[in-house]
Amino acid sequence: MAGVAPDSVSRQMGLGASARPAAATAARPRAWQRNLTGYLFIAPWLFGFLSFTALPMIGSAFLAFTDYNVLSPTLRWVGLDNFQRMFFNDSRYWRAVSATFSFALAAVPLKLAFALALAMLFNNSRRLVYGYRAAYYAPSIVGASVAVAVVWREMFGRSGLINNALAAVGVTGHAWLGDPSTALWTVILLSVWEFGSPMLIFLAGLRQIPSQFYEAAAIDGAGRWVRFLRITVPLLTPLIFFNLVLQMIFGFTVFTSAFIISGGTGAPLDSLLLYSLYLYQKGFKDSQMGYAAAMAWVLLAVIACFTALIFRSSSRWVYYESESEGER
Amino acid sequence: MRRKSGPAWLSVLTLSCVSLAACGQPAGPAPAAKATSPPEAAAKPTAAPAQPAAQAPATPAAKASAAGQPPVELRFAWWGSQDRHDRTIKAIQLFQQKNPGITISYEFAGFQDYFTKMTTQATGGNLPDLMQQDYATLSNWVGNSQLLALDSFVSDNTINLSSVAKNSIDGGRIGGKLYAVNLGNNSQTVVLDVAAFDKAGVPLPAPNWTWADFEKTVLDIHTKLGTYGAGPTLSDQQLWKSLYLGYGKWGFSQDGKALGYTDDQPLVDYFKLLLRLQEAGAIPSVQDEIAQWRTASVEARPIVAAKSAMDYMWSNQLVAVWTAAGADRKLRLQPLPRPVGGQSENYFKPSQFISITAGSKHPKEAAMFVDFITNDVDANKILLGERGVPIAPAVLEAIKPLSTPAQVEVLDYLSRLEKDNSPLPPPDPAAQPKLIDNIYLPQLVDPVLFGRISPEAAVTSFRKDATALLQSQ
Repeated sequence: MAGVAPDSVSRQMGLGASARPAAATAARPRAWQRNLTGYLFIAPWLFGFLSFTALPMIGSAFLAFTDYNVLSPTLRWVGLDNFQRMFFNDSRYWRAVSATFSFALAAVPLKLAFALALAMLFNNSRRLVYGYRAAYYAPSIVGASVAVAVVWREMFGRSGLINNALAAVGVTGHAWLGDPSTALWTVILLSVWEFGSPMLIFLAGLRQIPSQFYEAAAIDGAGRWVRFLRITVPLLTPLIFFNLVLQMIFGFTVFTSAFIISGGTGAPLDSLLLYSLYLYQKGFKDSQMGYAAAMAWVLLAVIACFTALIFRSSSRWVYYESESEGER
Repeated sequence: MRRKSGPAWLSVLTLSCVSLAACGQPAGPAPAAKATSPPEAAAKPTAAPAQPAAQAPATPAAKASAAGQPPVELRFAWWGSQDRHDRTIKAIQLFQQKNPGITISYEFAGFQDYFTKMTTQATGGNLPDLMQQDYATLSNWVGNSQLLALDSFVSDNTINLSSVAKNSIDGGRIGGKLYAVNLGNNSQTVVLDVAAFDKAGVPLPAPNWTWADFEKTVLDIHTKLGTYGAGPTLSDQQLWKSLYLGYGKWGFSQDGKALGYTDDQPLVDYFKLLLRLQEAGAIPSVQDEIAQWRTASVEARPIVAAKSAMDYMWSNQLVAVWTAAGADRKLRLQPLPRPVGGQSENYFKPSQFISITAGSKHPKEAAMFVDFITNDVDANKILLGERGVPIAPAVLEAIKPLSTPAQVEVLDYLSRLEKDNSPLPPPDPAAQPKLIDNIYLPQLVDPVLFGRISPEAAVTSFRKDATALLQSQ
């Protein structure tokens, strides 16, 4: 046995040693082929990503340091000039930043609250609930479109639906879109109205909360509000976290509604001058493409910072059920 | 890259419209393309899908063209009102009938979006062959080498300007070269609704009225009728520049590197006038102006619905306004008010130009169209001076008998102005659009009219910011 074992081991090893390269050379093209098939499958996406996302991003990163102005064929390397001008020499830039923060700070929490409220409302098995869910999801399919923004603009117009309804009950209308204190709210409202996708995500989360939690709490005498705060919210935190990140990114980049509702100007008093809109004005109206590219990269950096911040804070408030079973 | 979804969407739409339109037929992105088009339209469904390459020869128009010559395709872009779109499309169809072998596809937009659209196309190297230009934007486009000098076409008579007065041509000259042909003269004006004046018992103002007379007239009408006396858009940048024309100056200096005046007081006084009228409710408030009119086309103006007795605009716009208001209305054109003891604030401006872009593959054919729209009597019987009073005397004579009351009034107005006007100021500097969008409107006009800042303070900081911008060019 003792003699055989090393022998057989060595033979096996020998076999292995001689067979492995052969197997490897045989397997390598096969692995490559396997990967090729995979790459072929994602080729359309890869092509789209490289030509419509990666390449423009590289171009934009380069342009951010130039004075590229679209019409003129020449461009000049200007170093950090664009960034310096943005931060220290452009008062409208800071107004755009402040409008964007006002928008995001109001729109994101409102939208999430609204989505959660409706998700709770629809989390039952009454008849027609599927129909309602579909109906309430519809706005977010069309919500970000130009058509809805145009409708919004008409609705809040001087002789639009809202003012007519107010007139019917004897209240004098208001120039909603012309008044700097109300104009941004029309855009916020439009954004809140697109609550469909966070609502669906919340709904999925609510369905996963075991009903015995609620039953046990109810037996212990917990009211609706306490059950909501102590059971629903903690168990939904992963989804709140997810929705928060997504909607925050959306909130910082919203463009269409502000563009259409303000006629592309950001008026009144720059209250609708959201960051993306100002970026667009700089790039396509003032032909300062280099400056606009620089603005885009600052936006990317700010969004990255906020996303990182939310991620870092998540360990304090996001509760994953699987964790508790293990360590806690 | 979500931030770019808006513009990307727009440009994709534009491009797809262009490529559709470029399929050799005069079918643009226009809902306005009426069924009046000649037989080509009927020939398309059969010819095009079967053999796309042979579609052009299948059209009756192209059959007549020189055998074997591929059809020349041009693109023409303009801004304007619906009335202009309809007329221009008909004129294009006439050109195609008269010039078999040349097809023109077209695209149009409102003035607000037009130059954004063109800039986007310039980025993609995709400009139309022919584009409408404005006096304010011309120097910017020429400075960036986007336009073709037309002098050679004028000297070989492809574009015949022999009968046209020098004054009417020179507005399109930059650095001694002709880059754009004037599509018609116009001048600023205050449109008067004669019926409203009669009803209010307010006499029509004298031609040399002052801004004080203007204020009194507006308030009188508002008191008597309860409607707006005038407006909106009384803070338009054109009025700011013309205000100084009344003092023999202009908004910009000759070289465009500074403001053209040193005394800010007239501008302060003008804003105070607007604030008083706004306070009285005699003109639309700035809130209403932003919400409804600043970016809308002239057809939406309150004077169209008889909600205002006077409105400031360009004389050629009367045609569209009167069409929208209805033929039973009686509108009259009045020169701009002037300072007490000052000179006329009116000047004859080329209302707009047509120019050929530097990248055009068929400049010769494009020049033929420029000549056509300038000199062809039949075409101008369709266009009827909607873009301004035609510069070719023969054309002007031919269209006079056909003109509607609106066109007659425009022609009369310009001849009334002949006696009393100011010389044509220099073209706006290249930085003008930047100045208006980033400084004039958001930092001067709006904060003042919203009462956030005093006119004095705003005008002072406007001078500082505007000077910095103009000098940096």
